[in-house]
Amino acid sequence: MIKSIDQKICVGCGQCVAICPLDTIRLNEDSKAFIAYPDDCMTCFKCERVCPSGAIDVDPLREVLPPTFPDIPTQLGGGAA
Amino acid sequence: MKKQVIDCDLLVVGGGSAGLWAAHRFAELAPESIICIVDKGPEDWGGLMSMAGGDFEAVLPPDNVDDWLEDLVYYFDGLCEQPLVRAILEQSSERMSDYERFGCEFFHKPDGSLKSVPQRGLPHVKLYPAQEKGRGGEMMAKCLVARLKKQGARRIGRVMLTSYFARDGRICGAAGFNSISGDFLVFRARAVAACTGMGGWKTSYGKNTPTGEGMKMAFEIGCDLQDLEFSRVWNMPRLFAWEGQTHLFPLGARFVNRLGENFMDKYSPILGPNTDPHFTTIGMALEIRDGRGPIIFDVSPLRQEDMVLLKPQTGWQKLNYDKLCKLGLDLFRDNTEWVPQMTVSHGGIAANQDGSTPIGGFFVAGTARSLEPGVYAGGFALMTTATTGYMAGEAAAKWMKEDGGDLAQISDAEISAMSRKVFEPMQRQRKNALSPKEVLSRIQAVVFPYDVSIVKNGNALSRAQKELERIREEDLPRMEADDPHYLLKLREVEAICFVSLLFVRASLERKESRAGHFREDYPALDPNGPSWLLLKPDGGDGEFVWRKVPLASYRHKLSRCYQDNFNFTNN
Repeated sequence: MIKSIDQKICVGCGQCVAICPLDTIRLNEDSKAFIAYPDDCMTCFKCERVCPSGAIDVDPLREVLPPTFPDIPTQLGGGAA
Repeated sequence: MKKQVIDCDLLVVGGGSAGLWAAHRFAELAPESIICIVDKGPEDWGGLMSMAGGDFEAVLPPDNVDDWLEDLVYYFDGLCEQPLVRAILEQSSERMSDYERFGCEFFHKPDGSLKSVPQRGLPHVKLYPAQEKGRGGEMMAKCLVARLKKQGARRIGRVMLTSYFARDGRICGAAGFNSISGDFLVFRARAVAACTGMGGWKTSYGKNTPTGEGMKMAFEIGCDLQDLEFSRVWNMPRLFAWEGQTHLFPLGARFVNRLGENFMDKYSPILGPNTDPHFTTIGMALEIRDGRGPIIFDVSPLRQEDMVLLKPQTGWQKLNYDKLCKLGLDLFRDNTEWVPQMTVSHGGIAANQDGSTPIGGFFVAGTARSLEPGVYAGGFALMTTATTGYMAGEAAAKWMKEDGGDLAQISDAEISAMSRKVFEPMQRQRKNALSPKEVLSRIQAVVFPYDVSIVKNGNALSRAQKELERIREEDLPRMEADDPHYLLKLREVEAICFVSLLFVRASLERKESRAGHFREDYPALDPNGPSWLLLKPDGGDGEFVWRKVPLASYRHKLSRCYQDNFNFTNN
């Protein structure tokens, strides 16, 4: 999931906004990119790769989803809370 | 919010592999025509192809089409539309050559010949890897978009279409909205190519945009749906995403359980771990259910000389890999836990061989039409989306020439009515409102459990159906959208609920186990042979109808089934 956008070094080019498949990022009134819809990120890294100033950091860990094995403990491969 | 009417000859819905190929072929045959490609993602992003590894299946010498077709009839347990699959295989090498001509590169061995990787233990089916692991699909998308720019195709991003409109059995166009500006758009078109991908459950990179609204829209104008009981339950790392397992297992990787046992040898002494992920996930599910989880990915059998095909070298995959290594999650060094994960539906819109449907001028291509019954060999989607897209573009050009006719007239009153319907959720003000994400999580919690998605049984499926019907009746109307972005999410969740209900209903209907559908309460193949399950529109939830696979008229008989290699009931 997208972790952060450093607005101090964002140059406001808007390339991350244009390339995000899920419309997660927008530009604010100061033309700085910000994470508008964090839940929608699919961890594709397109924004981080296109950013010319290295302002974006995407965490590679994926979203925790409802479990496939709701009744089996996590340490045994399941997903019980 | 503005209202806009856009006219075109061919409207391509979906800018992924199938859509780009359909547009490209149509432009070649009808260069003076106006083509409009609409995608709910960004303009020119290339859809899910942009996330793919770029490995391509193709029948190249010395292979021949009949050998591959024989493999696929066996692999699909007979559920193979042989004339269509033959046509796909016959033109697969041409599309691969096209990609090379457009600038895409495939992996060559030191002697100059193409490297291939056999798939799923099949005798002939194989993929040809992209030159550099990491951005092969992205390169394919870029090359195709560059061609389409030269061909003058108009491309519009961030537009979600929510309904087609048809009159007197002919397609007239589609309506939808811009998910950023909120503008309402009506497209009038002489022909439409539905390249809208699969349904799915938003579970991973590259699986977040196919949500099934294309299927729902086609069903609403009278198209049949099929193969709804099949889904792709993938195995993937618990903590992160990984592209490229289609290389890992043929080259020696395997899963082991908590006791260090290579359990797939037990379930299939013939194929072992080098098999289709659908069967691997059944094995995983049974191991975890019986207390032998977690499942660990074992790379120790891999050879160093194959690492060039396995370790990402460029693109998003390399960035992902580098970041994971920094976190101590090096797939090739550390033990990583893998889990079965529901991803996408294999259901699709029923269509004729050339992509045409009973709706005049309405064509279907790519994963929007169903081809494979829940089993999946690496590189198959890039081959089938390219070829069926090409075929649909060709058929649409022929339709335009022979039957195209005039654009439909649409009154202002009709446009206003459509607009009100599209934006209705933005007017809702419920006391107990739910966000689309909350409802999505509820749907996922119903569909993901292994007794609904992997080792299916009638009781669990019936419970799931009941809960999904409750979600449809009670939760969907409670969703609200504050802005056009959330309106898109809301419409996606409606479609996900639609696809989920069809998945469990169709899974209940098929009382046998075949290809990518495993019923623990009906573990054997139906002795009467393979049949497709279609859903016909009836003004309501639709009626299921069986269509027997016409094996008598097909060249390849069903002499053996892939499923015969497995025994999940006595282990």
